[in-house]
Amino acid sequence: MTATTARQTRSPYLPTPMVVAEVTRDLEDVFTLSFDVPEGFPFRPGQFNMLWVHGVGEVPISISGDPGEPTRLVHTIRSVGNVTRAMASLGVGSWLGVRGPYGTWWPLEQVRGRDVLFVAGGLGLAPMRSAILHVLSHRADYGRVTVLFGARSPAQLLFRDDLQRWRGRFDCWLEATVDRAGRDWFGPVGPITHLVADVPLKPETAVLVCGPEIMMRFVVRELERRGVPDDSIWLSMERNMKCAVGLCGHCQLGPFFVCKDGPVYRFDRIAALFDVREV
Amino acid sequence: MEDLERALRTHPFIADLEPEHVRFLVGCTKNVRFRPGEYLVREGQREDRLYLIREGTASIEMPRSGGDAVVVETVGPGDVLGISRVTPAKAHLDVRAREELVAFAVDNACVLQKMNADPRFGYAITRKLLERTYDRLARARLQNLDVYR
Repeated sequence: MTATTARQTRSPYLPTPMVVAEVTRDLEDVFTLSFDVPEGFPFRPGQFNMLWVHGVGEVPISISGDPGEPTRLVHTIRSVGNVTRAMASLGVGSWLGVRGPYGTWWPLEQVRGRDVLFVAGGLGLAPMRSAILHVLSHRADYGRVTVLFGARSPAQLLFRDDLQRWRGRFDCWLEATVDRAGRDWFGPVGPITHLVADVPLKPETAVLVCGPEIMMRFVVRELERRGVPDDSIWLSMERNMKCAVGLCGHCQLGPFFVCKDGPVYRFDRIAALFDVREV
Repeated sequence: MEDLERALRTHPFIADLEPEHVRFLVGCTKNVRFRPGEYLVREGQREDRLYLIREGTASIEMPRSGGDAVVVETVGPGDVLGISRVTPAKAHLDVRAREELVAFAVDNACVLQKMNADPRFGYAITRKLLERTYDRLARARLQNLDVYR
């Protein structure tokens, strides 16, 4: 039995201890933890893991690494609560419990041959990074690839090296916008919906959206205005996930458990829930 | 004149106006060009033109002491500047060309005179300005919501 199979067959609540191999400070409150997993940690772009800090707690974190590099497990995390603050203090060589991968994934097989538009806001670029890396490493399988990214300010732009690399490619069109900037920012200033309004779209363009829910709501409205059908839009939803296996109900979204039925949903499946004020 | 009329028609703000209304506008409009860094509008100065941007981008800026500025929005081809100023007033922000910028500059006083003379023309222009104003208001609200938090 391989280590990966062993991990998948034992209790779903039992984390696998992993050693932090690299820590990167991305932003003032955002950091990336990488683990070396020699036996491999296969996952699908869009899935998440439960990361556990001994004596503090466990939180769901999207996998932001390259799916083509399964021996390197990467998570990008914002320091916002007790658990993530504890994670932020970890250094190389620290231990962390990992269980997963969980949840649904971006439909990258399904949308082969189509134009793909990625729309990400803030930390929403982290769960999308794996999908973008996959598409760019299988570039011939897709049509026009566009990445739109929004952040509060130039200082809040995540994965700057990636953004530069992607922008430098001739086969990927990337635009980043911010809400406020100084004169040293040469990109657009304005809401991400403004970029969505101008981007070339075909009726069959597949649109993958990830970011705070309020941002996704406005992006979806703009996409609908542009004539993109609901079944060509996928969103990654966020809820308070605890068990990650669809038992505890903490992450309930109407009839769905986000940990099991999501986090990635085709929009037509959740459209009716999207405008309900308390779901 | 005929060339300017044809060129005006290519701008989204004008595209679906009735031909006679476009001809009305031609008399109030001229082509303008700004170099990078040049100001279209200065805070505190009389804002007496409506700019329909054809090429290039401009930043709408809040000047700060020390020569620095906060860029609150950028506008580009197809956008309209000075939308709230059909009646002359003083600008409350700077607008600066970020690159070579080409626009139609429409004289506000001239347009206003024609709007008063022909209420149908006045209604058509007011409606377009309202649509643009709402669009910009929605953008500003969205930026204020801090949606990336």
